[in-house]
Amino acid sequence: MASNRGELVGRAEIAERERLLEELRESLRGSERRFDAVVGSIGDAVTIRDREHRFVYANAAALAHLGIDSLEQLRETAPDAIMSDYLVASEDGREIAMSDIPSVRILRGEAAEPLLIRTVHRVTGEQRWNLLKAAPLLDERGEVEATIMIIEEVTERKRAELRSAFLPEAGAALAGSLDYEQTLRNVAQLAVPGIADWCAVDLLDEDGDRRTVAVAHADPERVSLAEQLQAYTPDRLDPERGLGRVVHTGEAALYREITEEMLVQAARDERHLELLRALGFRSMLMVAMRIGERALGAMTLVSAESARVLDEHDVELAEQVATRAAVAIENSRLYSERSRIARTLQQSLLPEQLPAIPGYELASVYLPAAQASMVGGDFYDVWAAGGAWMIAIGDITGKGIEAAALTALVRHTLRAGSEFDTRPARLLSLLDTMLKKRPTLSVCTALCVRLEDDVVTLSVGGHPLPLRVTPGRVEALGEHGPLLGAFPEVRWQDFSTRLEPGATLIAYTDGITDAQGEGRGRFGLRRLCETVQALADQPAAQMMRALADGVERFQAGTRSDDTAAIALRRLPGGAPCEAEREPRAKLRADAITTAA
Amino acid sequence: MVRPAKLEVSEQVQPGRATVSVEGELDLSTVPVLEERVNAQMGSGESALTLDLSGVSFMDSSALRFLIALNERAQDEERAISLIAPQHESARLVLRMTGADKALPFERGAAP
Repeated sequence: MASNRGELVGRAEIAERERLLEELRESLRGSERRFDAVVGSIGDAVTIRDREHRFVYANAAALAHLGIDSLEQLRETAPDAIMSDYLVASEDGREIAMSDIPSVRILRGEAAEPLLIRTVHRVTGEQRWNLLKAAPLLDERGEVEATIMIIEEVTERKRAELRSAFLPEAGAALAGSLDYEQTLRNVAQLAVPGIADWCAVDLLDEDGDRRTVAVAHADPERVSLAEQLQAYTPDRLDPERGLGRVVHTGEAALYREITEEMLVQAARDERHLELLRALGFRSMLMVAMRIGERALGAMTLVSAESARVLDEHDVELAEQVATRAAVAIENSRLYSERSRIARTLQQSLLPEQLPAIPGYELASVYLPAAQASMVGGDFYDVWAAGGAWMIAIGDITGKGIEAAALTALVRHTLRAGSEFDTRPARLLSLLDTMLKKRPTLSVCTALCVRLEDDVVTLSVGGHPLPLRVTPGRVEALGEHGPLLGAFPEVRWQDFSTRLEPGATLIAYTDGITDAQGEGRGRFGLRRLCETVQALADQPAAQMMRALADGVERFQAGTRSDDTAAIALRRLPGGAPCEAEREPRAKLRADAITTAA
Repeated sequence: MVRPAKLEVSEQVQPGRATVSVEGELDLSTVPVLEERVNAQMGSGESALTLDLSGVSFMDSSALRFLIALNERAQDEERAISLIAPQHESARLVLRMTGADKALPFERGAAP
């Protein structure tokens, strides 16, 4: 502008121009100061970068945020030098590069949405959440001259948000399974990668020894590294230090920085040290899993490749997860234990194997009700007494441990009673007396059968009548007698018949006939008769298998009641059981029944 | 699998007598429903209770156990109780089979 006038410009004019320029500079500095006075007081970090993405301006919050002492120092910093101090990731864990930063995108002429990033400082391991918002600063021609970016630190908000999402999720995942092993895996998986890169769950056994029951890592291949580490970790915990101390006191232990010295100190040998280094543990946190004062174990959380340092916020969150996990573990352990007890008890209520009765075949089916932790219900038993073979089958009304105890009582009463008197009606009467002596209502149905040679004597107490199956004919045997343990002044009658060669005696519980099909239909006596009739000339085992298959096919949904059946088939042309008699037992039984 | 409700229970209260009528299947899954309703009547002041089972189409051992326990409780509490037998043969059979037809206080003329 002024230069057009060339030589005409005098000294005074030059001085005047100098003054004007100085005034302009001063006014610019003033505007910068005023700008700074406004922007500098904002809590959020604000930076302005030029077209080359060099810092032009940063307010006090930005300097503090970037860890830079002065604006001058910042101006001398290379554009991407600061970013390289951090591991930067998006909300979904994707790595963020310089080119993704909104201000850089604006310089490229792109629209830039706000970007939420998670930064972990490579040196301090501190984790932050920042929301980056950028806008262009245009010159008078409307071109991008610089960019302004606001860095809003949302770490607290994000933490709270993650926690409020994480804890219900954790609760749901833990409540989702009653399977013990699955629950443990769920516990470990929960913390990865939400809280840490690694999570291990250790439980104490009855002797107080540690056992690592689950290890999780976002990358399953790395799990095997951690498993190798197990060989170096003692089972016996030292209550004074490390995991032992955590479990013992219930207080969390946070190792913000795991140093090389710590690794050297912890390593038992070179191989161990190598392994520890390979795992690249950065930071570690151990929290106890306790229910009240009782220690179940501990959760160990480790940060490694994410480089973040675990802090007291993580301790708080991990403790809440550990508390929930402890309850879930205890519940599933109790459930597993209950199922195991139930199975064991159930097995103890049935004969381990059916005895071999010469001249006869024996086979049975037992389909327990669907609910695994329940026990009781149906039972059957076959044993020798007083020179005869005894068969009993029954149904304890009621479920659970009481029913199991009652079933044991019923079985033992019949067995013990048969040592003195093998007449079925007398045995039922004895059982009825025993049941009535119990403090709570104890009722059961039972069918008691005595087999002597080919003579079947039986008595029925509130139980379905047994069937005799021969080719071409199925008939119910005996007469109904009252339920056991239920009614005063009742009696039972013996009924006798012969079992001809090839004939099968079938005793069953109402689980078979009551099995529910689609709609309101029940399996019923007619289907039972048809099923066994079709296999009248087949081995007993085959008949029982067909019956079990038939009931299972018919059954809609889960089985609500126990189902049992036993088949005794006289072999066609087979010798009766005379040869197997026990003379001494016979003598004793006779003597006592005579005396009675 | 969710089954439709298999049991309907209704109450009718007259001075001195409450009648609980049952319709449907009485088994392991429905007995607790009836038990609760009957307990409510037993807890109220009415002196006599009639349990009308005429609409019961199916009974299993848990239903039977419930009736036996109810009868024992009524005796202990010296409360008059009577039962009206089911009409359906399968339910009547269970009562006959177990001797409950004779031992439980079924109303005359309506015994199973």
